[in-house]
Amino acid sequence: MKRFNADAMGEKLLRRLAGGSSRRSMLSRLGAALVAAPVFPLLPVSRAEAAKPDRSPEAKTGFARNAQTKDDTKCDYWRYCAIDGALCTCCGGGLHSCPPGAEPSPVSWVGTCINPDDGKAYLIAYRDCCGKPACGQCGCDNTDRETQLYMPQLNNDVIWCFGTSSMEYHCSTAVMVGAAS
Amino acid sequence: MSRTATKAIFAAAALGWTLFATAAWAAPAAETDAVPEAETSDVMTIPPPKPTWFFVDGGWDMAGTSIFDGETGKMKGMVETRRLADFAIDPAGKFYYVSETIWSKGDRGTRQDMVSVYDSQTLNLVTEIPLPGRILIGSRKNNFIISDDGKTAYIYDFSPASGVNVVDLAKRKFVTAIELPGCASLMPNPGVGFSALCSDGSLATVAIKGSKADITHSAPFFSATDDPIFDNFTYDKRKQETTFLTYTGQIFQAKLGATPTIAAPFSIQAAAGIRPGETKPLELNWYPGGRQPMALHRPSGHLFVLMHMGEYWTHKASGTEVWEVDLATQKVVKRRALKEPMNNIEVSQTDKPLLFMNGEEASAIVIDLATGEEKHKIERAGGSTITVADPS
Repeated sequence: MKRFNADAMGEKLLRRLAGGSSRRSMLSRLGAALVAAPVFPLLPVSRAEAAKPDRSPEAKTGFARNAQTKDDTKCDYWRYCAIDGALCTCCGGGLHSCPPGAEPSPVSWVGTCINPDDGKAYLIAYRDCCGKPACGQCGCDNTDRETQLYMPQLNNDVIWCFGTSSMEYHCSTAVMVGAAS
Repeated sequence: MSRTATKAIFAAAALGWTLFATAAWAAPAAETDAVPEAETSDVMTIPPPKPTWFFVDGGWDMAGTSIFDGETGKMKGMVETRRLADFAIDPAGKFYYVSETIWSKGDRGTRQDMVSVYDSQTLNLVTEIPLPGRILIGSRKNNFIISDDGKTAYIYDFSPASGVNVVDLAKRKFVTAIELPGCASLMPNPGVGFSALCSDGSLATVAIKGSKADITHSAPFFSATDDPIFDNFTYDKRKQETTFLTYTGQIFQAKLGATPTIAAPFSIQAAAGIRPGETKPLELNWYPGGRQPMALHRPSGHLFVLMHMGEYWTHKASGTEVWEVDLATQKVVKRRALKEPMNNIEVSQTDKPLLFMNGEEASAIVIDLATGEEKHKIERAGGSTITVADPS
């Protein structure tokens, strides 16, 4: 089964980001972050379309086979297939809402997770909420299609609090972007 | 109450306590006829890093890297490494380096990125070298690397544009920032500059001349999305070689230079006589995993890999066995079961190697590879990456 293969796109994107930014300018960094916000989550959509993924039970990961859709404060909630950190739903926030006083990062890493109710794959943006100390509640670390640092948009260890007033990590949300196929 | 009276009461109380304390201490001393002597407070120093020492990063929960002697299991001291800092040892053994980020008001205020330099014998801060930025991630060995001659540091930056900051450690100055699109996970490349892994599956080589950088790429040799190489790979300065491990268990070796060459990989599972790891779901097999999943004993060319039973995409799972791979013969020569799952692994670069590991519970263990016995277990040692001195 062919998985994601958007290497060239990712590199092109990163080249564009790097090429357009002078490293010392905070303004251009913010610019890069804002440019990145809409573009990063689009990557796996294109990949998924190109790959026509197999959605049979045999093709599902261990996480997808056991995921549930009822309780978003549990690590096995379906949208959390590649989340790492404290669930904002346990910290006074919601699936797409930061807890009071925290600030959502405009950029994120992404995951493609299967909703067991309809068997379809959806693109999820894991946006960090920033500017408060680590929440400490409901720590999860799910790793479906999670990669390493040279593919940062699919890596869940990076602190993604770019473009926020503080880079302190508080918790992570799982924002629905749309259907992946 | 007047201030004088208050002082007098405190003085009397202090005197009373002193007399009591002296009496308490004097009692056992009297039995041995030793005369108690008044002591003064002083501060210990330690020798430069020894090959049997290991350095455990406290990670998210403890703001220091603890130095332990693998022979005795005793702690020798601590270097400040706050959350998301990276630690490195000067090859000459004179300094410890910490690449770190601090805000002027704790969690807010002005961001300051720097390489902090510590004297290896006093563990005192010598100086700070300001940086324009660095990535905030932690638990990675290859975001802060030192050249073999100890003169240059390379610090990975992600802002979120990808780049590398170069520092002259002799002059203790930031030199230049190099844009490195699509690549990360650094390794020294002596006489050239450094190399890095890239999202297109290639190895980038960055030749540095002054403030100029010339980036070339190898042909793609791995899939960054389907079967990624773990960021925490190993580098051997004796051979100028890196050893890479992928999620499925493929082992690649790359000879570095102006034009690196990458050898055909082999499967760690096949090297142990079982079927190779695959990317398909529902394929239960032994897979490598953890945060720092492998360690190389450079003198023997033996690789130690944390392995667990599971399905694909369980690459962060702790290892329940350590597999010892002879890289020359491409055979797994020993499998060791672990009492508890372990997440990070290192090995001393000595003739009689000691294996160092820690797990999610932050306990560290020392295993004597000659006997296979657990030599020491240290509770609350730290839960993040382990570093050893490489005296070669």
